[in-house]
Amino acid sequence: MKNFFTAWNIARHSLVENYKNRFFALFVIFAGVLIYASLLAGVMAMDEEARVITDLGLALMELTALAYALLAAASTITREIETKTIYLIFSRPVPRPAYLAGKAAGLYASLALMLGVMALIQLSLISFRGFALPPFYLKAVFFIWCKLLIIISAVLFISLFSTSTVSTITISGILWTLGHFTSEAKFLINKSSGSASLLLKACAYFIPNFQLFNARDLGASGPAPAGPGFLAAYLLLWVSAPYLFSLVLFRKKEF
Amino acid sequence: MTNIDHKKVVSFSNVSKSYRRPGLFKSLEIPALRGLSLDLERGEIAGLLGLNGAGKTTIMKLMTGLLFPDAGSISIFGLSPSDVNTKKRIGFLPELPYFYPYSTAAEALLYYAGLSGLKGAEARSRVDAIIEKVGLKPHAAKKAAEFSKGMMQRLGVAQAIVHDPELLILDEPVSGLDPLAIHEIRNLISDFNGSNRTVFLSSHSISELEKVSDRVFILVQGRLAKTVARAEWENVKGGLEEIFVNAVKTPVTGDSYPA
Repeated sequence: MKNFFTAWNIARHSLVENYKNRFFALFVIFAGVLIYASLLAGVMAMDEEARVITDLGLALMELTALAYALLAAASTITREIETKTIYLIFSRPVPRPAYLAGKAAGLYASLALMLGVMALIQLSLISFRGFALPPFYLKAVFFIWCKLLIIISAVLFISLFSTSTVSTITISGILWTLGHFTSEAKFLINKSSGSASLLLKACAYFIPNFQLFNARDLGASGPAPAGPGFLAAYLLLWVSAPYLFSLVLFRKKEF
Repeated sequence: MTNIDHKKVVSFSNVSKSYRRPGLFKSLEIPALRGLSLDLERGEIAGLLGLNGAGKTTIMKLMTGLLFPDAGSISIFGLSPSDVNTKKRIGFLPELPYFYPYSTAAEALLYYAGLSGLKGAEARSRVDAIIEKVGLKPHAAKKAAEFSKGMMQRLGVAQAIVHDPELLILDEPVSGLDPLAIHEIRNLISDFNGSNRTVFLSSHSISELEKVSDRVFILVQGRLAKTVARAEWENVKGGLEEIFVNAVKTPVTGDSYPA
């Protein structure tokens, strides 16, 4: 229970630090401007205006939130090490698993807040144009957040062994991109043979399938690729596995 | 000078620590401490004196569980430095402490009080009392980014004592401060020690250590060159400075210093 309170304390502090940081506001303003600009694309779409505004807005929200998530998660622990604020934390009765969990939870909450503000901006614009709330909208925003949970967990893990913030963001960006092409990758793996096939199959286990959470694609057409139980288990696995690997790296880390 | 009850609070036994610097083919080992043994007794103010790179900060990081020894053992209150029950009883001020720039002094202290196990009203009243004690009350609502070096150091001392620890570890607490700030920090240390609690501090300032310490450990190239008691430097012409210069200039023989 004490560990939970410690993690809660760190998460709350991390959330406050994130939203007080000017980058947080800059990203939200940037996304707001982009979402507003998406109205122009909507006007050009004639009778598909509502759908274009919604889809384009969601895509812009996802990309902006992703950029912020990569930047914030890649630097959150390394910055604490560089500025030595970590000395004031680990010289206290703070177990390392609680610290990592708190840092991750703080980022998850920050991204939820960011997506919430962006969604409010977009919904205001949709309402301003006189359209109703798209039926899949909340699910789509929630699924964007789920994808961000996975990538944040991965970025935190990568930042523990990567040599710089730039390399962490690069590796994580590649992971994010590959995660959106898993069905294409599976097709290629099935066509390959021999040791190359085995190697590619092994690599595929280390790439999360973000297509499972592409609610935007499912909004208008097509059945859900997996049930909610499977998605919840998949999310839990991809959030907890990087956390456990991070613990292994962090357990004996010296500062 | 202070009320020492000779009960060991900290014990280093034959501790060695090296840093590894990655090279092209193999990493380079840089020894920081070599077979160090020392004890701290409850209620004393012990100083650590040494040149740059002598291993002072390494000792403090080992005591706070930020580093792990390569060889030997360290015991604090009879427990490992990494044990959370040990850390509850320790306060640490690193050299040049840094605080989250968007936090005010009160928010920062409340955060650290929470991490040290204080909750709710107890944490708030403790933070109020400490802010008053270190003279930051007029600046409690200011963000850390607006703090001067002296205010930052006071905040550093405040976070180290906010949970009322039994052992206070201070790494260069008066480095770069003006005389008034040094005087105030010295008073804070003496106040803290007044209730039979132990203080361990490092400094480059010999006169500073002379003023506050009961004992001083002189560290040379990662080895304990000499332990000097107050009575000893008070009876030597030239005081602690003379003893320190002699210790630093004494050639190292093998793995130990000549007796």
